Amino acid sequence: MKELFLLLFASIVTSNIALTYFLGMCPFLAISKEIKVATGMGAAVTVVMTFTSLANWLINNLILLPAKLEFLQFLIFIITIAAMVQVLEMFLDRYSPTLYSAFGIFLPLITVNCAILGVSLFMVLRSYSLIETIFYSFGSGLGWTVAIVAIGGLRKGLIFSDPPKNFGAAGITAILAGLMALAFIGFTGVVRG
Amino acid sequence: MAEQPGSGLKTPQKGYRLFQKKGIKVFIEGVWHNNPIFGMMLGLCSTLAVTNLMANALVMSLSVTIVVILNSVITSLIRGFIPDRVRMVAYMIIISTLVIAVDRFLKVLLPDISNALGPYVALIITNCIVMGRAEAFAINNSPGLSFMDALGVGSGYTLSLMVIAFFRELIGFGSLFGVRVIPASITPLGLFAIPPGAFFALGTYIFFINLLRNRSKKEKGGSK
Amino acid sequence: MAVVKALIFLNAFSLFICLLIIFLDRIISNYGICKITINNDKEFTAKGGKSLLRTLFENKYFIPSACGGKGTCGYCRVKVLNEDIPVSPSESLIFTREEIKANYRLSCQLKVKTDLRIEIPSEYLEIREYKGSLESSEPVTSDIKKIRIKLLEPDTIDFKPGQYVQVRIGGEAGTDYRAYSMASDPEERNSIELNVKLIPDGLGSSYIHALKEGEKIFFSGPYGDFFLRTDSARKIVCVAGGVGLAPIKSIVLAWSRQPDKRILELYYGSRTIKDLYDHDIFVKIGEANKNLRYFPALSQEDPEWKGDRGYIHNIIQEKLTAGEESEAYLCGPPIMIDAVTKVLTEKGIPLERIYYDKF
Repeated sequence: MKELFLLLFASIVTSNIALTYFLGMCPFLAISKEIKVATGMGAAVTVVMTFTSLANWLINNLILLPAKLEFLQFLIFIITIAAMVQVLEMFLDRYSPTLYSAFGIFLPLITVNCAILGVSLFMVLRSYSLIETIFYSFGSGLGWTVAIVAIGGLRKGLIFSDPPKNFGAAGITAILAGLMALAFIGFTGVVRG
Repeated sequence: MAEQPGSGLKTPQKGYRLFQKKGIKVFIEGVWHNNPIFGMMLGLCSTLAVTNLMANALVMSLSVTIVVILNSVITSLIRGFIPDRVRMVAYMIIISTLVIAVDRFLKVLLPDISNALGPYVALIITNCIVMGRAEAFAINNSPGLSFMDALGVGSGYTLSLMVIAFFRELIGFGSLFGVRVIPASITPLGLFAIPPGAFFALGTYIFFINLLRNRSKKEKGGSK
Repeated sequence: MAVVKALIFLNAFSLFICLLIIFLDRIISNYGICKITINNDKEFTAKGGKSLLRTLFENKYFIPSACGGKGTCGYCRVKVLNEDIPVSPSESLIFTREEIKANYRLSCQLKVKTDLRIEIPSEYLEIREYKGSLESSEPVTSDIKKIRIKLLEPDTIDFKPGQYVQVRIGGEAGTDYRAYSMASDPEERNSIELNVKLIPDGLGSSYIHALKEGEKIFFSGPYGDFFLRTDSARKIVCVAGGVGLAPIKSIVLAWSRQPDKRILELYYGSRTIKDLYDHDIFVKIGEANKNLRYFPALSQEDPEWKGDRGYIHNIIQEKLTAGEESEAYLCGPPIMIDAVTKVLTEKGIPLERIYYDKF
C-alpha cells in the first residue's frame, strides 16, 4: 500500500508529467491566466487521464497482449482517448454549460494532449498493474493540474514585473516553467526509486 | 443575393516553373514564418524532451519530418474523399499508422536511440505539428504544395531542435554528437542536461529568435 | 495472418466505440421536452438538444441564416428573455457588449436545454417554407442562369420587390441554405424568378445550375430589409452591378406596373455586352414609360456598344441630379457598393435613404 502512495506522490512532484517529462505543453503555454479555467482544465484532464488509462490497461492486458496485437497499441489508445473526450464534452454541455463554453476550443484539444497518451504509454513501458495504473494516472493528472495552475498564477504575477520584451509570452513562460521544474527537483530525495 | 465561393481548391498551377516558385515560397514560410517552435508554438513537448543530446534531436526531428511529409501528402491526395465530419478521425488513423511504422523502423535500425527516445516517438501522434499542417494546409492544397509545406515545416523544426540541442549538449555534457569537445577539466553545466535546463534553453532560444526578428523588422522600417 | 486479425479487431473495436458513444449520447444529452415561447404569444414544445435555429425551423418558424449555422453571418440573431444564457466565442465576435446585455444571441449557437422565451421581429412570422418545381432554367450569360420556379405548396407567395429567399441545397433532405434575391414581379404570385451566377466550387450555384426541369425545389422566404419603400414620392435611384440586377429588376418591374408618378433612374453596369442581360427589357419599359431613365454602362471596351463606357459610379457622378429628393437601392459586389455610396452621399442622398444588398 505504501508503494502505491509513493507512486502517487512521485507522479505529482518528482516525476511530474509536465515539468519532468514535458507532456501536455501546448495548453500549458497557451491557457489563460484565469485560475478557475486552469483548475477546470486540470480537472478535465485528470478525469480523462484516469479513465482512459484504466480503459487502455484493460484493453491492452485483456485483449491486445493475449492476441499478440501489441503493435496496435498507439492506434487503440488514441481512439479511446478521442471517445472519452467526446463523452466528456457531452457531460459538460449537459451539466456545466459555463465550463463548457469556458473551455471552448480547448476541449477537443484535450484529445491531442500528449500527457494523456503519454500516461498510457508509460503505463505500458513500465508494465504497471491495474491498481498501479490507477494511482499513477490519477497522480499524473493531479501533478499536471498543479503545474498548470502554478504557471497560471505565476504568469498572472508577471504583470508586476518587466521581463525583456523579446521573450514574448512563450519565452518567459518557458523560463518560469524551468524555475518551477528546478524547484520540484528539490523533492527528489523524498521518494526513493 | 449571391453566395460566397466555398473554401475550395486553389486554381491548379500552370507550368512547372510557377509551381517551383510557389513551392519555394511555401517552403520558406514553413521554415521561418510558420516555424513550429517560434512561429506557431507547436510540438514543444518533444522539443524539450529530446534536445538534451544532438543525436536524439536529429533522429526525432527527422522522424517528425518524415511523418508530417507523408501525412500531408496522403491527406492531400485523399482530400476529396474525406467527409467533413470524420476529418479528425481520418487524421488520427493515418498519423497513428505512420507513427507505428516509424517506431518499428527505429527499434530495428537504431535500437539505442529508440530506447533513449522512449515513448516520445509514439507521441508524434499527438504532436500538434503533424495534425496542424494537415488541417491548415494539406486538406485544401495540392499534394505538391503540401509536400513543400511539410518539408518546410519539418526543416524548420529540425533546425530549431538542432540549434537548441547543440547548446544543451555542449554546455550540459561538453560534447557534440557524443564526441567530447570541451576538455574534461572543465565541468559541464549539468543544469542544461536535466529537464529544467530544457525550459531555460527553450526560453533563451525564443528570446534570441525574437531579437533577430524584431531587428530585421526595424531594419525594414516596417511597423510592429 | 496478423494483419487480418488486426483489421478485424480494429473494425470491431471502432464499431463498439461508436455504438457506445451513440448510446451515451442518448442518455446524457437527453434534454427532455422544452417549451419555446415566441413574442409572449405563440408557443410550442420540442425535444431539446438541438440549436434554437434548427428547433425553430423544424416547427415552421423561419429565421434568416446565411452561413448555415456556423455562427459567422449574424443573420439568425434573436432576443432571448431567459436569464443567464451563456455566450459562445463566436457570439462575442458578432455582437457588441450592449447587444449581449440586451440578451441578443445567435440562434444557431444556442442549444435548447430548458424552456426558452424569445422575441423575434414580427416579419419573421410571415416567412413560410415553400415547395416548388423548376419551370425553366435559361442561361443568359456565360455564367448566369435565369431560373423560374413554379410554386406548388403553398402555391402563392407575397413579397416586397427586392427581398430574397433561402433555397435548401440538395432538395428536401438538404441541410444547407443559400440566399438568392427574387428577380420577378411580386404580382406574379404563383412563380418566382432567380438569377444565379455559377461560382466555382460554390455549393448553392452548382446545385441550382444542375437542376432539371420539373425537379422539386424547397425554399423559405421572403426575407430581407432590402425592398422598395412606398411611403413617399421621392425619386427612386436604382444601381445594379452584374448579377446584382436580380432584386433591382424586381423593383423596376413592380414600379413599372403601377401608375407611379415617381421617377425611376436605373444605372445598370457590367463588363461586356454579353454580361448585360435583360438590357432589352429596360429599353422597352423606357420606351413605354417616360418616368424611367435608363443608364446602362459597360466597363470594358466593346466596338458594338453605343452607350456609356466606364464604371457605374462614374456614370452616376455625371448623370445624377436632385439627390436630396431621392432614395437609392444598390445591389452588386461590395467594391461597387462602396464606390457608389460615396458618390451618392456627395450628390446629397442621406445615408439613411441608401439601401443596399451586398453580396
